[in-house]
Amino acid sequence: MNPRPDNIFQSFSDQLSLKVEAVEVEAEGVLSLVLTDGFGGALPAWEPGAHIDLILSPDMTRQYSLCGDPAERDRWRIGVLLAPDSRGGSQFVHTRLHAGDIVQVVGPRNNFRLVEAEHHLFIAGGIGITPILPMIREVAAKGGRWTLLYGGRTENSMAFVKEIQELSGGDVHLVPQDKYGLLDLKRFLAAHKPGQVVYCCGPSPLIDAVEALCAGWPSGSLHQERFAPRARQEVGEDGEFEVELASSGRTLSVPAGKSLLKVLEEAGCKISNSCRAGICGTCLVKVLDGVPEHNDDLLDDEQRESGTVILPCVSRSKTKTLILDL
Amino acid sequence: MLDTRKVRGGNGLAPIDAEIDTILDDVFNITKEATESFFNAYNANPDKRVLASWLETRTWREIDYVFLLNEQIRRYGLRFQRNHITLLAKQSFQEAEHYEELGKAVLSLGGIVPITVPKAAVSWSNWLWECMDRHYLAAIAAWYVSETSASGSFEPTFKGAEVQGHMDVVRIYKQIEIDEKFHTGLGRQVLSTYAETDEDRDEILRAMKGMRDIAWKSFTPEVVAATMRAA
Repeated sequence: MNPRPDNIFQSFSDQLSLKVEAVEVEAEGVLSLVLTDGFGGALPAWEPGAHIDLILSPDMTRQYSLCGDPAERDRWRIGVLLAPDSRGGSQFVHTRLHAGDIVQVVGPRNNFRLVEAEHHLFIAGGIGITPILPMIREVAAKGGRWTLLYGGRTENSMAFVKEIQELSGGDVHLVPQDKYGLLDLKRFLAAHKPGQVVYCCGPSPLIDAVEALCAGWPSGSLHQERFAPRARQEVGEDGEFEVELASSGRTLSVPAGKSLLKVLEEAGCKISNSCRAGICGTCLVKVLDGVPEHNDDLLDDEQRESGTVILPCVSRSKTKTLILDL
Repeated sequence: MLDTRKVRGGNGLAPIDAEIDTILDDVFNITKEATESFFNAYNANPDKRVLASWLETRTWREIDYVFLLNEQIRRYGLRFQRNHITLLAKQSFQEAEHYEELGKAVLSLGGIVPITVPKAAVSWSNWLWECMDRHYLAAIAAWYVSETSASGSFEPTFKGAEVQGHMDVVRIYKQIEIDEKFHTGLGRQVLSTYAETDEDRDEILRAMKGMRDIAWKSFTPEVVAATMRAA
């Protein structure tokens, strides 16, 4: 066999240098970017729910969900909303990126995987449709049952509507707020239905509302992805957070770019480990308080959602402080 | 302990997941029983040379993994994501550490650290290298089974070696146990990430079944008894 790099644009780091193949207006304030290697080569495979890191400048990295078709191996597509409260990321994409530009990308990663179910209820708010769209496409392709609740400020602001309407087998509810008000979540989430899983992505108030209605439902029945952190998540802009060791009350600072495991080891904690890549699970530590940001490849959905364990080799914190059973 | 069979990767193994898990269960149990059988016999007549002989084959496997993993990277690595190249190289480094550490244990027991394939490991080694030549995922599939097989030996080895006071062997096997969680997780992740076609899955199953069959032939009470006699 002839070993050939799938992507000759790859550099010797974790980054890919990709070409902006096309920029399209998908809705009011929403652009889609198609990224390729520039030569028609295959990009790394991904599954619905995956996102990539777009490195816009040395100090500006933003995450965007892949919203194209995973079967199209030579291209990735992302959708970017020009956020009114943009910290610079979406503004950069909207004003400074053009077809033909080369961008640096890391990923894809997937913290929002699609699971099999008898029925999928998808709830999307605004640009939250981006990770949901490939999920719907996959469920529809398999002939599964699905329902979509999709809300937006106005009809013109809602991206990818035509693509959604072309997908088969689903029950689609498009709800522009200026015409119909907010999504009628209570109607669709009145009670847990066995065999149904809910996927929700969108602004924090929407996810908070969905979480409240699904509180008490069986583990694994709700999957959500936030674009913005919870209000109580006060982790530093650059990813810095603190970790407290419960046995001693000692507090350690985990700076950006340094793993939690490394910080714990330097503080004298002896923790079994091997891969330091989130695969072996041997560094598992109990979490007593705080919300872990799981970046591993091993914990299952129930373990992730419980927030009671963490693999410190790759995972971090969504809250300012994480208290560990150490 | 978390179950590395559930590691996240792609869906490439989905159609054969159950069949793979059955193969892994089989080899785990075969090795566990053979190792228990060995230590039962060894504890009745604890001759260090016998334990050294038993470990020599395992020591060879560690260095053969080093050769294999480096060849895997050389031949096929650029088909993989760069993090997988790093992790395969890291596994290779750990296998080299195991060869070094097990080598020390073998020497301390009066044995010889193998520098060529021991007779008892020939069919195992040949199969790995044949798989390497056939398909870019086949050798990984074969070593995934072999590594899982080895994990069946841990508990009986801890118990058996501790009874005889071979604490170096226990310590080395404890480290191997930790590292093999990584190696088996990596094997599953690589296979599930890159397997795409039915042909890929057929080659993976062929490699795994072949390795299981070798385990069946290698880990029998008769082979264990022959090891005892040969030492």
